Amino acid sequence: MYRNYEKQLDLGAGIHLAGRLAAMDISSQGLDAPDSVESDEALLIAVGNEQDVAAFNLLFERFSKKLFALGMKLTRNEQLANDLIQEAMLNVWQKAPLYDLDKGSAQGWIYTLGRNRCFDMLRKQKRQPNCISADDIWPVESSEATVVHEDTSGQEVELRLIERNFDKLPAPQREVVEQIYVQDRTHEEAAAHLQIPLGTLKSRLRLAMTKLRNLIEADT
Amino acid sequence: MNTEVKLHPSTELLNQFIQGELSTGHSVVVSAHVLMCKSCGAKAKEFQALAVSSWVDPKLAEQAVESKPTNYSEMVANIVASPQQRSEAGSELMEVKLDVLDNSINLPRVLAKAAASGLSWKHLPGGISEAQVKLDDETQCEFIYMKPGSKAPVHTHMGSETTLVLHGEFKDELGDYGASDFIVRDKSHHHQPLCEEGCLCFAVLDSPLRFTKGIARLMNPINRFKFKRSLA
Repeated sequence: MYRNYEKQLDLGAGIHLAGRLAAMDISSQGLDAPDSVESDEALLIAVGNEQDVAAFNLLFERFSKKLFALGMKLTRNEQLANDLIQEAMLNVWQKAPLYDLDKGSAQGWIYTLGRNRCFDMLRKQKRQPNCISADDIWPVESSEATVVHEDTSGQEVELRLIERNFDKLPAPQREVVEQIYVQDRTHEEAAAHLQIPLGTLKSRLRLAMTKLRNLIEADT
Repeated sequence: MNTEVKLHPSTELLNQFIQGELSTGHSVVVSAHVLMCKSCGAKAKEFQALAVSSWVDPKLAEQAVESKPTNYSEMVANIVASPQQRSEAGSELMEVKLDVLDNSINLPRVLAKAAASGLSWKHLPGGISEAQVKLDDETQCEFIYMKPGSKAPVHTHMGSETTLVLHGEFKDELGDYGASDFIVRDKSHHHQPLCEEGCLCFAVLDSPLRFTKGIARLMNPINRFKFKRSLA
């Protein structure tokens, strides 16, 4: 599963890095036209606050095929994937009043509901104990989620971009990123391992993140 | 002094958790830690936000042809006729009363629900009590209570044991552990947990414990049989 653990970013570390990079953008970006009836977030909020059936219909149209694809990916079972459309969209209707922008993007919220329903469907099929459900393991209701609102088609691309540009970092910066994101060390441990002062490690990390961000932007 | 470096799930494990790749038992123990630990909670939310966008390729989804055309208008009509959930489902922590403790405690909801399914406590040598919870076919999950002054038999693990400290503290040769600490042990570890003041944990094993010293070794076959039975 892990190729050259020392030298390359694995998916987990890549995702973690991408999250940090994305979070750097939040304050400058703001939300995309929140008053427009076109955004998924606005539709979901309308469903939650006003029981807006037209908004729900529009969400259904936008997400039914995607939920089917999600169901196929997670269960590899066409019947379950079909069932998922209904299960997930029912949840979307029922829980829409609990959604707010603190919980992240509407798409992320809907896909999480979809994933949770797949998990429960598979467990039911295998006759596993039902004392707990997926919503207990991956809660949809908790707030304090990172507000991530960006062009989602960019997300997948971003992971590949990170891999491609990671090697372009100067060696000292690449080393610190590797220590923190691949080797999972704390700042103190990484500084000790690289035998540099803690302050140097922190500023190198800061520079590395900025450089990586700039490299990625230049790449797109 | 704690010589243990990592008392949190690794980045790899957190990512597997978010992607839904772990067994139910492991998902539960990671989920409970994520709830109790601010930094892992923040990490998990970042991973989540990114992971969801990679689950579905919108272009592939558009091309997907369903085997039978479906008229969705009836489905939608039924959905919008059903009631919406008005209030928050419940807090992330739930109060629960366990037989081994005098007072009730607050546990992450996922564990409180597992406990509520009915726990039968077995009392083992050294002052350790355990109550199993069946979550899946691949792991053995249990609440473990170490009473004040208790000491588990020296043991190792043929597979791995993941322990989440819920309440109180215990220690072994490798360190001291307190609430929210996430500890993984495997066959490279021989250890003897000790507890001075009482401690409640949740543990997930993926193969039987092997006691290595003294009369506790008589328990080995029983433990393995017990584990096999829960796999059947």
